[in-house]
Amino acid sequence: MAVTPWHFVGLKLRVMRNGLRGQRWRIALFVIGLFFGAWFSVIGFVLFSATGFARTDTSLVLVGGLGGAAVVVGWLLMPLVFFGVDETLDPARFALLPLDRRTLVSGMFAAALAGVPAFATLAATSGLAVAALLRGGPVAGALQAVGVVAGLLLCVSLSRATTSAFSAMLRSRRVRDLAAILLAVLAALLGPLQIGLLAAARTADWNVLAGVARVLGWTPLAAAYTLGLDVVEGRWWAVPLKLLIVAGTIAALLWWWSVTLENAMVGTATTTSGRGTRETPHTSPTTRLYPVLLRGLPRSRSGALVALQVRYWWRDTRRRANLITFAVVGMFVPLMVNIGSRGLIEGSAAIPPSLTTVSASMVFVGVLGGVGLANQFGYDGTAYSANIIAGVPGAAELRARVAGFSFYLGPLILVIPVALALVLHRPGWIPSMWGAAAAAYGCGVAINLFVSVLGAFSLPETTNPFAVNTGAGVTKSLFSFAAMLCTLLLSVPVFAMSTLAEETWVWAGLPAGVLYGGTALWLGTRFAGRLLDRRMPELLSAITPRR
Amino acid sequence: MTFALALHGLAKRFADKVAVGGVDLEVPTGSFYGLLGPNGAGKTTTLSMAVGLLRPDAGTATVLGHDVWTDPLAAKRMLGVMPDGARLFDRLTGAELLACHGLLRGMPAAVVDQRARELLDVLALGDADRTLVVDYSAGMKKKIGLACALLHAPKMLVLDEPFEAVDPVSAALIRDILQRYVASGNTVIFSSHVMEVVERICTHVAILAQGRILTAGTIADVRAGRSLEDVFVQVVGGRTATGQELAWL
Ligand SMILES: Nc1ncnc2c1ncn2[C@@H]1O[C@H](COP(=O)(O)OP(=O)(O)O)[C@@H](O)[C@H]1O
Ligand SMILES: [Mg+2]
Repeated sequence: MAVTPWHFVGLKLRVMRNGLRGQRWRIALFVIGLFFGAWFSVIGFVLFSATGFARTDTSLVLVGGLGGAAVVVGWLLMPLVFFGVDETLDPARFALLPLDRRTLVSGMFAAALAGVPAFATLAATSGLAVAALLRGGPVAGALQAVGVVAGLLLCVSLSRATTSAFSAMLRSRRVRDLAAILLAVLAALLGPLQIGLLAAARTADWNVLAGVARVLGWTPLAAAYTLGLDVVEGRWWAVPLKLLIVAGTIAALLWWWSVTLENAMVGTATTTSGRGTRETPHTSPTTRLYPVLLRGLPRSRSGALVALQVRYWWRDTRRRANLITFAVVGMFVPLMVNIGSRGLIEGSAAIPPSLTTVSASMVFVGVLGGVGLANQFGYDGTAYSANIIAGVPGAAELRARVAGFSFYLGPLILVIPVALALVLHRPGWIPSMWGAAAAAYGCGVAINLFVSVLGAFSLPETTNPFAVNTGAGVTKSLFSFAAMLCTLLLSVPVFAMSTLAEETWVWAGLPAGVLYGGTALWLGTRFAGRLLDRRMPELLSAITPRR
Repeated sequence: MTFALALHGLAKRFADKVAVGGVDLEVPTGSFYGLLGPNGAGKTTTLSMAVGLLRPDAGTATVLGHDVWTDPLAAKRMLGVMPDGARLFDRLTGAELLACHGLLRGMPAAVVDQRARELLDVLALGDADRTLVVDYSAGMKKKIGLACALLHAPKMLVLDEPFEAVDPVSAALIRDILQRYVASGNTVIFSSHVMEVVERICTHVAILAQGRILTAGTIADVRAGRSLEDVFVQVVGGRTATGQELAWL
């Protein structure tokens, strides 16, 4: 009997169902995921289809070109930055089965299509087909429907190919710096795009935007979503060309994916993790445990815990992916927000930089930093049992983890405000920006310590740093979301001070922020530590992957 | 007499499945105790509860007079543990991992260094080797796990499947080390489903199946003149081949 893609779909659905069975908690999360999917579908459908009622074709151009491109870019970036990939079907499991590459890729592809995000995207973008039907009749509608399906295939193959390739890159030490650059370039490409959009939106020159949208319509980003428009405007010859563009892109992406998939299957995983710096083998084992920069730490339990965490945030690909994402997002989002809001572009009147906006973006940086600790125990997996057996007290454990994480985050949080202040020509604000970031980071870490003890979840034992278990993706985003909300609430004093008492905040921001964040951190490690003391075995069960 | 390890009424259920249904086990000080049982018998669950990694639904576990769940620090000081299938902090090299374990136990750095080097040497893992533990073979992983458990010179050693997937040379080495460890007055309990090893080195055995102890005692008592394998199959109640089935083989 031949193996068809349906077997893979069936396998995925069965694995998902078994994962949910008897786990009320996971079922609840799954339902919440469904709810968000439905919400996205309805909003998207309304937005896309509403263009069918507009007086001119411009809105169809805009929504098809820009909206379509946004959907594709979302599929590209969301898994990398936020959600991770649903690796319900781990390619490594198929390594020993006699499946040729074509069967495997088409099967995995079909399985990837069977999921809430794919259905939500299909439902939302089908609004475009309705719009084309209203404006251009049944043929336009039908062709756009083909475009919508082709667009979905493009989105899914794009996200699978890039995450697979990216995780393969992170696995190998030699190219892991390349991976960081790749992400930075991606984010940097988003920046100018966003600025251009903002500028165009401000001048409300719809023709400029429509021009951009028409150009996008000839790229793989939006080709599939502008088919209906071409029919409406009578450019029949464009339809086969654009279909060719989309089909060619999908084929190329699937080919790329199949290559990286094969690497993932044979598990080139273990060969080249980081080894630290070269050193003579004659240093003692305890000295070797400590990274060179930390050789000054005491050879004690706390020292060893910190050294372990510092080593792990670099040597574990999942954690490293997290750090790189923070560095890129934490650097670019504040720059974009503040430069964008100043209207530097295209000669529009320069609004002076606002201390409130700047402080708010520093709070964002701090909040984002704290989230990195949300599932810190999940990264360890069952290795954490060693600390339980050794009887490490909860507070000491958490203090060391905060210190190890801050070894990387601290410098970044110091540098980001400096870069932003220099770009804005406001060096005098640097201290208060440090204060805002320190306050938010302290609160964020404190909150996320509780999340890490109470809401830990197991990560699959694959080497794909973006992989999460079914349902865990929802847990992950839900917990991160709740933790971010709490941190924002705790950061309200920072907003209030920087808005209401601007003059005072400029000089008092640093001491006040450091004191505030420090207090939150002290309380957090203390009380989360007590909680951990009581919950160690439960935590271990939560992070043990179910076989 | 106080037992090195005493389990009373230990029980654990997962959702609707009883994994361990009330285990009583007394491990005399100085014994080499084998815990035998088929796959899924509840060996890992029992040992995890005995060392404080899994909270039991009922029952107590005592290590040399210290209750694991009410006086964990004292009990854990006496204990060396090698959990089954538990990943170690495997992004460290063997030497780094041992150093980490020793310092976590609060040992002085000089002692850690000296013992770590000696253990790496004896277990043929190479003191200077810069291979990460994640790249070790299965046998090397078991050996480094054993080294981690032995580093702080515990009085009581709890090992889950120490001989699983280990080559004969490494297995012989592990056996030697454990026998010397017991000979100097310490106690070992380990789980296994390999009869030959248990028969060769254990002073006591217990047979566990479906979460219950079916028989326990000194190896001579349990065997009563038969081979351990016969006893095991009879007690656990497996089927025996009649010669009719699988004729196509
Ligand atoms: N975390 C868990 N959740 C649900 N069932 C479990 C869990 N751990 C073990 N079990 C079940 O408990 C039984 C005993 O498992 P285990 O103690 O690992 O057996 P052994 O180590 O003897 O092979 C098995 O049937 C197993 O499926
Ligand atoms: Mg077991």
